[in-house]
Amino acid sequence: MTTLNSVGHPSPRIDALKRVSGAATYTGDIRLPGMLYARVLRSPHAHARIRRIDVSKARALDGVKAILTRENCDVVWGSGDTRNKRYLFNNPVRFAGDAVAAVAAVDRHTAEEATRLIEVEYETLPFVLDPEDALKDGAPEIQPGGNLSPNNQGQRQPEVLRRGSIEEGLRAADHVFEDHYTSSHINNAQLEPRVSIAQWEGGRLTVYASTQGISNCHTEIARDLELDAKNVRVVCQFMGGGFGNKNQCHDFDLMAAMLAKQTGAPVKLEFTRKEDYVAVHGRWPTKQYYKVGVRNNGTLTAIQLRGYSGMGPYRKGTGGIAGIEIYQCPHVERTVHPVLTNMAVSANLRGPDYPQGVFGLESLMDDIAYSLKIDPVEFRLKNMTRKFNDQTPYTSIGLEDCIRRGAEAFEWKKRWHAIPGVGDRPAKRGAGMAMGSFFSSLGRSSAVIDVDSRGMYHVHVGVTDIGTAAKTTMALIAAETLGVPLEKIDVIWGDTDRCPYSVGESGSRTTTHTGYAVVEAAKELKRQIAEKGMPRDNDVLTATANTNPTVPGMARYSFVAHFAEVEVDTDLGHVRLVKYVAAHDSGRVVNPLTATSQVKGGATMGIGMALHEGLLYDRASGVPLNAGYYGARVMTHRDAPEIEVLWVETEDAYGPYGAKTLGEPTIIPSVAAVANAIYNAIGKRVKDLPITRDKILGVLA
Amino acid sequence: MKSFANVNARDLKDAALRLKEPNAIAIGGGSDLLGMVKDHLVQPDVLVNLKTIHGLDQISAKSSEVNIGGLVTLDTLSHDPMIRSNYRVLAEAAESVATPQIRNVGTLAGNVCQRPWCWYYRNNFPCFKNGGTKCFSVAGENQFHAIFGGGPSFIVHPSDTAPALVALDARFRIAGPSRERTIPAAEFFALPKVNAAKENVLAKDEILASVHLPRAGKNTRSTYHKVMDREAWTHAVVSVAAVLEMDGQVCKRARIVLGGVAPIPWRLDKVEAMLEGQRITPELAAKAGEGAVAGANPLAKNGYKVPLTKAVVRRTLEGLAQV
Amino acid sequence: MSRISRRRFFEGTGAGIVATAVPVKGQQPARPAVPRTTIQITVNGARQKLEVEDRWTLVEALRDHLGLTGAKIGCDRGECGACTVLLDGKPVYSCSQLAVWADGRSVETVEGLARDGRLDPLQEAFIEHDGPQCGFCTSGQLMSAKALLNRNSHPTADEVRAAMTGNICRCSNYNRYVESVLAAAAAPATTASAAARRKA
Repeated sequence: MTTLNSVGHPSPRIDALKRVSGAATYTGDIRLPGMLYARVLRSPHAHARIRRIDVSKARALDGVKAILTRENCDVVWGSGDTRNKRYLFNNPVRFAGDAVAAVAAVDRHTAEEATRLIEVEYETLPFVLDPEDALKDGAPEIQPGGNLSPNNQGQRQPEVLRRGSIEEGLRAADHVFEDHYTSSHINNAQLEPRVSIAQWEGGRLTVYASTQGISNCHTEIARDLELDAKNVRVVCQFMGGGFGNKNQCHDFDLMAAMLAKQTGAPVKLEFTRKEDYVAVHGRWPTKQYYKVGVRNNGTLTAIQLRGYSGMGPYRKGTGGIAGIEIYQCPHVERTVHPVLTNMAVSANLRGPDYPQGVFGLESLMDDIAYSLKIDPVEFRLKNMTRKFNDQTPYTSIGLEDCIRRGAEAFEWKKRWHAIPGVGDRPAKRGAGMAMGSFFSSLGRSSAVIDVDSRGMYHVHVGVTDIGTAAKTTMALIAAETLGVPLEKIDVIWGDTDRCPYSVGESGSRTTTHTGYAVVEAAKELKRQIAEKGMPRDNDVLTATANTNPTVPGMARYSFVAHFAEVEVDTDLGHVRLVKYVAAHDSGRVVNPLTATSQVKGGATMGIGMALHEGLLYDRASGVPLNAGYYGARVMTHRDAPEIEVLWVETEDAYGPYGAKTLGEPTIIPSVAAVANAIYNAIGKRVKDLPITRDKILGVLA
Repeated sequence: MKSFANVNARDLKDAALRLKEPNAIAIGGGSDLLGMVKDHLVQPDVLVNLKTIHGLDQISAKSSEVNIGGLVTLDTLSHDPMIRSNYRVLAEAAESVATPQIRNVGTLAGNVCQRPWCWYYRNNFPCFKNGGTKCFSVAGENQFHAIFGGGPSFIVHPSDTAPALVALDARFRIAGPSRERTIPAAEFFALPKVNAAKENVLAKDEILASVHLPRAGKNTRSTYHKVMDREAWTHAVVSVAAVLEMDGQVCKRARIVLGGVAPIPWRLDKVEAMLEGQRITPELAAKAGEGAVAGANPLAKNGYKVPLTKAVVRRTLEGLAQV
Repeated sequence: MSRISRRRFFEGTGAGIVATAVPVKGQQPARPAVPRTTIQITVNGARQKLEVEDRWTLVEALRDHLGLTGAKIGCDRGECGACTVLLDGKPVYSCSQLAVWADGRSVETVEGLARDGRLDPLQEAFIEHDGPQCGFCTSGQLMSAKALLNRNSHPTADEVRAAMTGNICRCSNYNRYVESVLAAAAAPATTASAAARRKA
């Protein structure tokens, strides 16, 4: 791979100074003159009809300026449910945490006090928490038409992927293995709690949102409030993480806007951490049933998955359970049921379809390898994907190198036991691995670059940088294409008044989509400079690129392989990470410094998902019990092992300088790698996430 | 938060008198209590700030005892050289609590008087602790609840210092508006069958003013072993406070108290009797582990605490025997 | 005196009318005045006089009333560490301290780390070693690290992790934070040239 001038060199974040000096302004830091504070009242019940709401006592409280309920606000939150109408305030309420009212007051304490003065008469209804139970006869109907959420064609059928004939594949097998796995609802738990500030100036609305997608927010707010797009501005200069659940406008953005309209004052609506855990969304819980057929020599003949994903009562996510695509196999059938339940809503969290599906599939593949007495690494090398869907060539694929080089760096042969559970008691060590892939999309985005007479280049992109160092990535790409040092680049971001469309920082698409637009805009600007010379005085040269590249006839994916060694104290059921190696093919790495941090972060999140996290519900009441950082046992400094990162940089002809997706692949194999390591250590498998102490002691008993 | 007045107490008597008011609550470090106010678990109109009382934050060694003021922070306690060398179990227990930020302000008395972390209680279910007449954990999610002494409430006592203090035969000095009383630590804590709404015998207008430890015998060794569901910042799933007075290789006197398994610090007097007069061999440690779980009554989801307790008691004794 | 009646959860199956109300008994529309206190605190070396509501937390006073928004509120329950400041030199969760308790005391926030336009070596190191991802936990991580280096200028990696255990990073950039603190501990005393290179 050729060495470039800016791209590919470790570069500190261009906004790091602001972040380390307390000068970065996050949405919650903003105070506007006359600003009011808002809080939301939420249903304590999992499913209930609201018979009566009485806001009179709340309204009479000194300092309360406006109250919204369904009775005076029938705004539809368009992106709150892709299949049914979801209002800001719904009746019936369909999960514990569903919004019932919003109050704006002179300070947050008064607003909160006021919510507690609102009297609501509920008629509780039967509820259902488990996606399989929700499909049984007699299950409470959560939305009209039934609990199997319709597919993209509007049909009440599960999502199906087929290749070949599953019956033939199972017949052709020498052995058929069957097992099932479950995973929990995981909250994104980004450290910045949700907050939104809305301000009207005449007919023009500005929303200071904590968002990954200012363009999405902008379009959706305009649509939902029936405003002209030019009368909406969305601003987000710094935001404290999202991991996928802050990519669109939310109901509370709209509530803030409506309260601001009613009161004539700017309104800041704040969430508590508990609200953040239950009232927005997290990763869908799944139940996965697999049947895998294999020949004696370890070659796969069939993979069948029947899956159920709990989506909560409002359909926001795909409900997908991915993983099959990392295997080469002639006969494949995946049937996934996205099912409505009365739990917290499910939607995007880092690699939405992936880590839970890879956990299930890679656990079973591991068991198969052991049964056939094949080294799990060899089993993956034998059966890993070579072509997407076994037919479409990849633009680049470094999966084999990820596995081989990762295994070598990890010292797989030394750490892995051919016979699981063979170590000395009580502290048993073992090693596991898993592989994965993630779509590296190319698609629509825009960039505007101008240059002034001082030779400063201003790159306008609609990113907000949720922690991915997107601004720095755009700057590096611009500097590279323009052929100027990084210091000459200034990035303008996070304001729909100043920035063009961006896809929003999700799907790990920022580098590939917006980065590509930056390349094209930079090329165009260079052409203008060559033609007209550098600008003088107050002149500015401007280049715009609206790009939507495609990759004809090929599939573009990133590839990963993670390796984990654990030590399990079999007396205490305690798991400790001893060594962790993450090997990644993301094409050319634009910024190795920040990219490596991404991998460390994603892998660590995955370890937390494997060992600790899961929103637990009380079955009798449908109320979540362990919302929050303490309840979820989120990983601390002491829990985080050293994550060693290995880059396999493949040459890819597409994307900005051959860069492929990066942010989400980081978590994809991590859960499975840890689960497989635990199996190798103790010789028993826990098939239900999270793999907590009680479950480990349970299988060892 | 709801509105309240912060009242800086002048002295213990002043504080106790203020606490007679119906909606007045005493507050020390405040880490837990402020959260409870925010969650509407308590609704004070007055917070009686104990931190302004002089003289309650000292550790002083007298001829026959060591006095630890109730306001001594967990950080101070865990670093005090005399506590570390003579009452190691207490230093280790204090050090195991939460995080540096909490230990810097959290007080010994506050840790001992801490309310339970049962998720039904903390989520405002109308349970015994919230003034109701039911324990929701019995038929619900009881992974972290009691395997001893439960009923009608099945919470576990959340304090780390409490089992250590019981194991050290500490005495608690309790100050009220007109009188003081000093009682053994073990008598401070109350089983739910006595009063399911509370965890200890403090009256509303009483304050845990100080803790008194008998002089440590020569050749006493002690430790606190805490099992947590992440590496830090979590209450004990199971913990063991063990104090052994040795005579050469023979254990003269033992105190073994469990945390995380019962609504009060759970003293294993039968196991203590097993150990006294014996050498602590691996076999005896294993027997002690078995003895520790005799009579355990696990609920539907916390059965794992039985083998866990067995193992932790055995390991703790094996470790102490080698010191 | 106020008493909040408890919500009653409907137990069992089937529908039923349940009154779920949280009235404050005897509540009148106009409330009594909220207790307030005037406090004097030294913040980043500067004496401040402030009238606060007794119920305001220290982090609220700093952020909303002294304009120091570097300390963040991540959970408001002492479960995340984003609000960590130094109170008389010791790291505390400012969300779990009442502002009135800081009367007569000294508070240091992230805004006070840089001196005379020069970044603290910790801040330099956080930039060089990519400490912040989203940056929301960064102020708290810095203050815990600062307190550590103030009392132990050459910590081991384990000591760094122990000192910073009370600071959650959901981006999970823990490796980088530890690397940064160790680098800062090893850095030469003056980093003026590095600071000069920084641009906002």
